[in-house]
Order: sequence, then structure tokens, then C-alpha cells
Amino acid sequence: MEYEKVYMFQPANDRPAKRRRIEPQGLQTSWKQRRLAFDRDWSIPQRAIDARLHSINASTVDKVWTYLNLALKPDQPSTIRTGIILTGADGATEAGISKKIAEKFRVGKHRRILVPLSSSSGSNIKVLLKTLIQKAISPKFESSDNDLDDDDGELRTTRTKGHKLLNYDLQLLYDHVREHKKEQVIVALEDTEAFDSDLLSEFIELLGCWQDRIPFTCLLNVATSIESLQQRLSKAAIRVLDGKVFDVAPSSDEVEQVCEALFNSGTPLWIGSSLMSTALERQHDYIQSIDSFVKAVKYACMSAFYANALSVHLNISIEHEVIAADHFEALRQLDSFRTYSRRLLDNNEVKLLTTYLESDEALRALVSGRIAEGRQKLGVMIHVLKVIRLLQQKLPNTQVTPLSSLYVQALSGKLNGSPLLRSLLLTIRKVPSNIAASVLRALQLYHLDNRDLLVDMQPVLFRLDSLIDAQRETSTKPLRSEDDIHNSTLRTTVVAQKVELSKQKSALSEQDRKYTELLVSLSDCLGEFFEETLVDPADLVFHEIFVYDLKSPYREVFTPRPRHACERALATPHDYLDCDCCSSQQDGGNAEATLAATQPATAVLYQLYLESGSLINASDLWHAFQAVLGDGKEDAETMALFQRALAEMRYLGMMKSTRKRMDHVAKVMWHGL
Amino acid sequence: MPKRKLDAGSQVAESSAPKKTRVNGNEDSPAATSAVLDTPSKQRSILKGTPKKFGGIFNGEETPRSQRKVLFTTPSKPDEIEGPPESTTTLTTARNDRSARRKSARLLLEKTTLDNASEDDELAADDAIAREILNSSDSEEVEEDGFDALSTIDNIPIPDAPDTPSKRGRGRPRIHPRERKRSPTPPQDLPPHELYFHQNKPGGQKISSNTLPSHLLLNHEDYLVQIGGWQDSHQVERDWLQRLHARAFEQWVFELEQGFNICLYGYGSKRELVNNFLEQLCAESGTDQPKIIVVNGYTPSLTLPIILRTIASAIVPKNALSTLPNQPEALLAALLSHLTSSTPANKIHLVVHSIDAPRARLSQMQSALSRLASHPSVSVLATADTLTFPLLWDASTRQQFRWLFHDATTFAPFTAEIDVVEEVNGLLGRGGRRGMGGKDGVRYVLKSLTENARGLFRILVSEQLAAADSSSPAHDEDALSSEDEEMFEEVETPSKRARKAKPKPKRPKVRRTEVQEGVEYRTAYHKAVEDFACSNEIAFRTLLKEFHDHQMVESRKDALGTERLVVPFRREELETLLEELV
Repeated sequence: MEYEKVYMFQPANDRPAKRRRIEPQGLQTSWKQRRLAFDRDWSIPQRAIDARLHSINASTVDKVWTYLNLALKPDQPSTIRTGIILTGADGATEAGISKKIAEKFRVGKHRRILVPLSSSSGSNIKVLLKTLIQKAISPKFESSDNDLDDDDGELRTTRTKGHKLLNYDLQLLYDHVREHKKEQVIVALEDTEAFDSDLLSEFIELLGCWQDRIPFTCLLNVATSIESLQQRLSKAAIRVLDGKVFDVAPSSDEVEQVCEALFNSGTPLWIGSSLMSTALERQHDYIQSIDSFVKAVKYACMSAFYANALSVHLNISIEHEVIAADHFEALRQLDSFRTYSRRLLDNNEVKLLTTYLESDEALRALVSGRIAEGRQKLGVMIHVLKVIRLLQQKLPNTQVTPLSSLYVQALSGKLNGSPLLRSLLLTIRKVPSNIAASVLRALQLYHLDNRDLLVDMQPVLFRLDSLIDAQRETSTKPLRSEDDIHNSTLRTTVVAQKVELSKQKSALSEQDRKYTELLVSLSDCLGEFFEETLVDPADLVFHEIFVYDLKSPYREVFTPRPRHACERALATPHDYLDCDCCSSQQDGGNAEATLAATQPATAVLYQLYLESGSLINASDLWHAFQAVLGDGKEDAETMALFQRALAEMRYLGMMKSTRKRMDHVAKVMWHGL
Repeated sequence: MPKRKLDAGSQVAESSAPKKTRVNGNEDSPAATSAVLDTPSKQRSILKGTPKKFGGIFNGEETPRSQRKVLFTTPSKPDEIEGPPESTTTLTTARNDRSARRKSARLLLEKTTLDNASEDDELAADDAIAREILNSSDSEEVEEDGFDALSTIDNIPIPDAPDTPSKRGRGRPRIHPRERKRSPTPPQDLPPHELYFHQNKPGGQKISSNTLPSHLLLNHEDYLVQIGGWQDSHQVERDWLQRLHARAFEQWVFELEQGFNICLYGYGSKRELVNNFLEQLCAESGTDQPKIIVVNGYTPSLTLPIILRTIASAIVPKNALSTLPNQPEALLAALLSHLTSSTPANKIHLVVHSIDAPRARLSQMQSALSRLASHPSVSVLATADTLTFPLLWDASTRQQFRWLFHDATTFAPFTAEIDVVEEVNGLLGRGGRRGMGGKDGVRYVLKSLTENARGLFRILVSEQLAAADSSSPAHDEDALSSEDEEMFEEVETPSKRARKAKPKPKRPKVRRTEVQEGVEYRTAYHKAVEDFACSNEIAFRTLLKEFHDHQMVESRKDALGTERLVVPFRREELETLLEELV
């Protein structure tokens, strides 16, 4: 089969040995259960994220859609109605808007054609037009032509009557439009920047020429700015366009939205801070579409369920009898359980501990309880993060921290007592009453939405509220806080030729003083609240089960280093093969790879290759190779290995032939670059 | 001659006893001498050039020299220096010997091919010298080995090839392989970028002009015999690696089910691994067999329509097959919409071996594959072999692929992926184009052709050889050589020219036109008619067509637009071919 081009795979039935089913062993036995747990648990955040993604640009899509509808009745037939969609930097990776519009197309019943074109559709005007016509006329492509007039379904690029036209003649499209009574041909350019500017201008001008016969409408995805688009187009092309700009949510916004949706969904598995920050960083540093972020989150969840056997305990509905005994044994090995046991011992609760150590059932109950508790605590934490953001929004001169970065800080256990929180509390002490009132209102609202979250704070809030209300009746000036520096003046006095600085509190009313007291207690209250709720996840018992924080599979799976892997395999084959013969360690700890006849032939050749310059003499290479490998072998055998190694190196893309000199090969890759 | 070399060798051994890297005593000497002598010779050539321009006096003997910079030049004084002066008893002389040998071989051949019956005394004398030199070649080989052994024992790089891994003689006493020191040619412990610049230093490289004798390279049969009999000492470890990867099969299944696609990378063929995976996939799914379409990306004649057709035959009911469009783009769209409208119960598995092989690399193929991969009911498992495969995909294609990458280094040989003999022939520029089977292929084709066809081919080959002989000496060094030799000007070229008894008068004007090779179409036709290989042009064309089909002959247009027929082989291969044909 290896020389077939394409074939259907048929399992070799005659080899029963190969078909032997390998029964899972050890902790892997619970994989089926975990699989079920994953299916159930991931579906919740998945749905939440999908819904959020769907709604992110819904308004923009609606606007574009209305615009397209409007364009059906052109008021100026000489110009092309054009929707310019400002996508931001990740426009190329994300055909979001046009995809959503295409979806809209699929549902409705109308007489329109949507033709998505990308820069790869054609590099010159003929090819581009050809693609346009083909895509527009091809019955199955994107056009929601539900009332198929032509049931033959055949691509018709040739005319039945009249003389034959070239396949890039827009007359073909015109015939098609007239025949099927199409009302609109929407040309969506997915990556406007990638088009050659001359080509783009020419294309638009040409569409403009046909505008009186074919009802074109354009959608341009612009990643840079309108100005640069304008510069790139010719004057004639600009004259033809009649544009309207639509904004799309920037990608950082999308990430925030997805994060929020994820945290709100009550996900059973929380992603730890280091993994989350890696994913966010990658998202931020490289222009990635939001999909890749969702993918990363999903993959994290997948690896947690796949590789962490203890995640079987996440499914609370499973009876403890179903779970194999070694899973409980594994639970008892967890670090967090050990600290917990230590605590129990310190509290002289030996009996309780013994039951946990001896009874699986008791342990199971403990696990379920603790996981539920831990999840609940993390859920509260998200609320606290939102409260922090709320306060930041209301307070003057404070930047609102993105939820994702707050989350990363909180999950690393560093948010509590961080400078961010301290300065926030200090600011609260200083606010005048008009701002305090809005803060209060926001807190109250939040409290109403999420019951018993801020319950401890209620008395303080209530007293503050009444005080502010009372003040509002008597005077229009807001109450001021003592701590506000605006209310104190600095005085300089010269006493005995020394300048003395003294802070003078300006006269504060009785009410101001009371207000200040209340503010202090409010900030104390908030401080306590933060202290209490912002727990370090690492302190939670069994956090290993419901917080997943491993970077390694994420990094290797999404950002691999294939070149490094290959080079390493060839430069130090021992790293992979782990054989006794090629180990370089045994002779004096010299870690650097040395040539040895026992190494694979390609590895030997590669190491010789590394030493050479950009042109390699094949004959010399052969002699060197022979000197290493040819020990006690026939020339022909060594030559066979040499030829194979050469061929492999060429296949891997490390060498190429050169015409500069006879019997030389050119080196293409340098190690470690 | 050999004696002199030995001297040089011992000189080397003495002079570079202290640790010296790369540049050592005896290598300096040719450079130094040339540096000294360089200037006057240049000046002279300028002076020579000027009067000629104005006066138009042309001296047939002293041909104007090319203006190109020669990196390592020894003064060329054709009439003064008979042999290299004693002081420069270095490698240059050794090379000169070798080129002299080549020259003599050519001379001999010239005689046989042209059937030149002229009993010119001079030629006969040349002939005698040539034979002598040729005969001495064997002994020289031995001496060379002795020389190498000498130098390597003292752990000195061969000055001959400073940049290529140093070669060692066959006969030297063996040290234990593990204790063998690497040649210190590249300075040790350079960071990768420094090493790159070190190895790409401007000022040219010094590379030896050794050639790999054709008879050393194995042909298909011999190669298969040798590789078949060869035992890999790492078989156990390789099996262990396979088992290691096989433990991840369950994970792969899970990942594929979750809508990701998998790309395996790492050194070694991953075919067997993937096939094992597929076996297990089938075994586990029991009665409800998944549909698996395997694409062998490395097959040289793979095209997109073939892939799409196979997929279509797998998923589209038979009666609807004929209604599918023919163009790949439309077919793909039809397939995707079919998958959307009637979603299959199981995912379609698309397995692509070597997704980065030359044929599969085409952008059309990749974009089609990515569109298939992005469909929810298709899952893709691909393997990639080259080091730079991630560059295949731009951001949007990559996103469509939804890859998860796994390192699957197997160290398994690429038996199916590579045709080793072909690859090596292509790499070393032997045996013409790919797919022709090299010299052996030609021999095979000729066997099945008529006597007349063989006759015509013989004419073409001999004419081409004759034409090559009459063109420049620098050129006959390499029949395929291109003009951009600037950087890698051969070290011995000028001095070789110096040793030429008769400078070819054609040389001056044809620096550009000497790229011409092969035989003019008209000439070939007339020759063929004279030799009764064909009687009219139609027959001639028919015969040529056969050669064209097997890529034994290429036709090119030269600068003037006349058609030339070229047999795309290296000189020595042409020679052996001719020997067999005559």
C-alpha cells in the first residue's frame, strides 16, 4: 500500500496478534468514567463560550446585514456600495464577520450571491476574475440558492448561445445574474491588505464598470486603517466605492469576554494561574484568533481529565464502589491531603484521620465535600474579582484591571495583600461622598444580584447610606474625608531660621468626621472581605483535582519545536534511543555528543555535516563517514548506509544539490538557529 | 611526484606540532606566494589589455584573461612556467596532477571517440604522457592515503579540505571508536549564530576538488542487496520507541474525537506507527468500521483530484458519484456541502503521510486539506518529516487545521518515502532528472529500442562530448556548471591553464556562449542521415520523441534561438555510455 497514492485503509485481519486489545492497567482503568465526566463537565463551559462568541459581534453583524439589505436598492447606480469592516490586527486569521454573514445567508431565502475572495484566489486580474465567476456560478458554493432552477447542478462556464467567452469574462456572471434574477452579488475580500494594490484597484475599477449591469456590493476586511486603504487604491477605484465603516470588537476584548463566560459558567475544573497566564500571553503576543484561546482552554480540560486519574472524583454522582481502589490510594498520596492529615493530627482528631485512611467510603465523602467546598470558594473568588472591578470603575483615577489578569493573580494566591488591593482600599478612604454614593449603589446592586455575598458589609453600607442621604438634604457640598489631601493645606512657617512644614487639616464638620469614620470602617470591611474570600487555591484540600495547572502538554502541543526535536535526535541520538552503546556520559562525563560507530548512520552523517561549511565535498564526506562507520565492514555496505543517510538528509531538507561545483552538496541548515 | 608530497606531509607534521586550528604552515605557503605574485600579474594584464583595445592587435597565443576575481590564484604565465616551481610544492601541485590525469583521460577519449586517425607526433606524445599519468594514478592513491594517515595521527586537519570533515585513510591504525577525537577544524563551542557566520565567512571557502568516483555509488540492485543484509543495532531501542508512542494511541483517539487534528513530527519514518494506530482504531471500533482514507503525500505523482475522488467514493453514494463536478475546487465544495447536509455517523479519518513532501506541499493541496480538516466530521492525522514544516501554513490555514503536535521520533528508516538511489543521484547531480533512473535507466531504455535509435543516441553523445572538448577547459570540469562560480572559484584552475600545452584559441570570446552544450539540431540531423540512422526528418523526430519521453534528451534554445539537443548527463557518465554503445 505504501506506493499507492491514496487508498482506503483496511485493517489486516490476518494478523490477530496485532489486533490484540491492550487492556488498560492501573489508574488508566478509570478512563471511561473520566471520559464521561469530561463530556458532561466540558459541555457547560463550552456552551457558555459558544453563546458568548456568538453574541460578541452580533450587533456589528446586524448592522452589516441591514446595510447589505439597504444596498439592494441603490440610489446611485454608478457606485459600488461597500462595507468596510475594521477587524484589527487579527483580521487575517478570523473571517469572523463574513463567516457570520455567510451563515445568515444560508438560512434566508433570497436571490443573492456571496463570493468570499482571499488574496490566494488569484495573483493577477484574470485569475481573480475567473475565481470570482467560478465561485459565483458554482451552484453549491455558499450561495443559498434554495430554489434551484437548474437541477442539472452542473458548472456552467460556457454559454449555450452566442459565441464562446473566455472564462474570466464578467459577461458570464452577467448572464448568470440575469438568468437567475439575482438581486445582489456580494464580493467579500477577506484580507484586503494582502492583495497587491494595483490588482485591487484594477479589480474594483472593473467591478465599477459592470456595476450598471451586475449589482455588486463589496465587503472589505481591513486590518489596518481606512487611510492606508485609501492610499493603496487608485483614484478611480476610490471614486467607484461608496463605503461605510463597521467596527469589530478587538481581540483582547474577545479574550476578556470568553474568560468571563468561562468563569461564570460554573466550570467544574479551574485552570491554574501559570497555564492561564501562558495561554493569555501567547494570545497577546502572537496574533491569534479567539478560537485558538478556546482551543487551549479546552485542551487543558481534556488533558486534566485524560492524564489526571483523580479527576474521576470530580463526578460526584459516581458511587465509590465503582471507582477502583488504587484511585483512593492515590488520593491519600496527595500533598494537600497530607497537610490536611497533619492538621487533623495537630487537632488531636486521630480517629477521624484513621477512618479517612482506612475507609474508602469516608474518604470519598470527604473528597466530594471538599471539592464542592473548593469550587464554591473559587466561585466566590470570581465574584470578588468582579467587585474589585466594580470599585475600580467607580473610583476616580483608577484603572480597571482586566478580569483575566485579576484571575491569574488571584489563582496564584498573590492578589490578597497585593499593592493593587491596598491602593484600592486607600483610595476608598479618600473619596468624597458623591462618589461614595455611586460606589455604594453599585455594591448594593451587586449584593442584590448575588445574595449573601456582601452580607457582612450591610450595616456599614446602610449607615453610610443614611448619612449621605441626610447630608444631601442639608447642603449641596459633598462630604469630605479626612484622609483626602485636598482637604488639608500645607503650611510653611519659618521658626528660628528653619522652615517647618506642617499639615493643617482644614476645618471639617462633625458630619465629615463621622463620614470619615464610616469610610474607614467600610474599607476595613472590604479588606476583611478580600482577606477572607481571596484564598490561595494551593491551600484548598484536594486542589490537585479541581485546579489544573500544568504548562507542559499545552506548550508542547500548541507551540512545538520540530526542528529542535529533529536536530536533537540526530545530534545526540542517545537522548531518544537511550541505548547503552551510544551514551556519551560514561567516558568522563563529557556531555557533548561524540561520534561513534554505533550511532545511526544518519546521525553520524549529520554530525559530520555540522562541522562543514556551506558547500560540502561529497567525496570527503564519504571518506570521513567511512572512517567512522566503515570499521570491519565492506565498502559496499558502508556505501549503502552512506547513500541512505545522504538521501534522508536531503529528504529532511538539510542538503540540496548545487551546480556550483561538481560532486558537492550545499548545506541548508545550521544547528540551533 | 609522490616523493614531493611525502615531503609536504612531513613538513606539515613538524610545523604544526603546537595546537593549530585550520590554518597551518603549509597552507599558508600557496596563499603567500600567490599574494606576492598576484599583483604583478594583474598589472600586466591591465597593461596588456589597453593596447589591444586601441590597436586591435591580437596575439593568438596570449589570450585575454577573464576579469573575474580568482580567489586563490597562482600566477599564470603560460610560456614561462613548465611545472610548478619547487618552492610551492604543495597541494596545488597535487591537484594539478590530478587534473592532468583527467586531462589525459580526456585526451585518450578524444582519440577513441573521434576516431582521429591522424598520426600527429605531438598528439602521440601527449598520448604517451597521458597513459603514463593514468597508470601512475593507482600508486598515487596509495601515497595519498599514506599522507593522510601521517597527518591524522598527529591530529592535524588535512589542509586539503579544511571545511569538510577531514578524511582519514583506510589503512590507518584503528583507535577505539569512542576515543576518536573530532577534527578540530571548526573552533569549538561557538554559539550557533557564530558558527553560522564562521562557516559562511566571506572570502570564499577552501574546499577540496575531490570527486566521488561513480563506481562507488551503488545502483538500485546493489543498494537493496546491501540494505537488506544490514542489521540495525538499534532495533531494540527503535521497537521500544514505537511502544512508547503506542501508549499514546488512546490519547490520540480522544483528541481526534474532540475535534482536534494531529500532526506527528520528529526524525524517522512514522508510517508504521500510524498504521499500527489505524489497526488499533479499527480493532477497537469493532463492527462499525470507521472510514479511513490514507494519502501517501510522498508519492511523486499525487494530485488533488485523486485525493478528492477517493474521498468522494468513500462518502458519496455510488449513484451520486457521477453527478459530482470535475474541477477540484468545485468538487471540494460539493464534498464539504455533502458532509454538512448528510453528516456521517462516524468521523471520516483522513491520514496524510508526509504532509510536507514535495507534492503535498503545493499550496493548492494544503488549502484543500485545511478546508477538509476544518470540517467537523473530518479528522486528520498527518505526519511531517522535514525540519521546517510549520512554515507550510499561514495563520489562517493553521487555524483551520486545528493541529495538536506530537513528537513521534521513531528513528525508523524512510523506506517507502525515499527512493535512496534516486535521491542521491539527484543530490550529486548525476543521472539527470528525477524519475529517469540515471545511467542505468538509459541503458535499459536503449536495450528496448531499435538499432537506429541506439545509433542516433550514440551520435548525440559523441557529438556532445566532442563539443564539450572543444569548449573551454574550465567548463569541461563540470558539464552542468553555471555561471555563478564567482565565490567558489576553483583553486587549481589558473595553474591548470598554465600547464596547458596549447591554450585553446576559442577561449576568449566564449565566456558567455560556452554555456552552450549539446548538439545543434541541424547538425545532429545531418549526422544521423550520414550514418543511416534515419532517412528523413520525420523518422528523426520520431526517434527523438522516444528519447524525450524518457528524458534522455533535452532540447534547449541557445541565445540565437537555434535548437540544441542535450543529453543531461555528466561527462564521465557520457563516456561510459559511449563505451557501451560503440
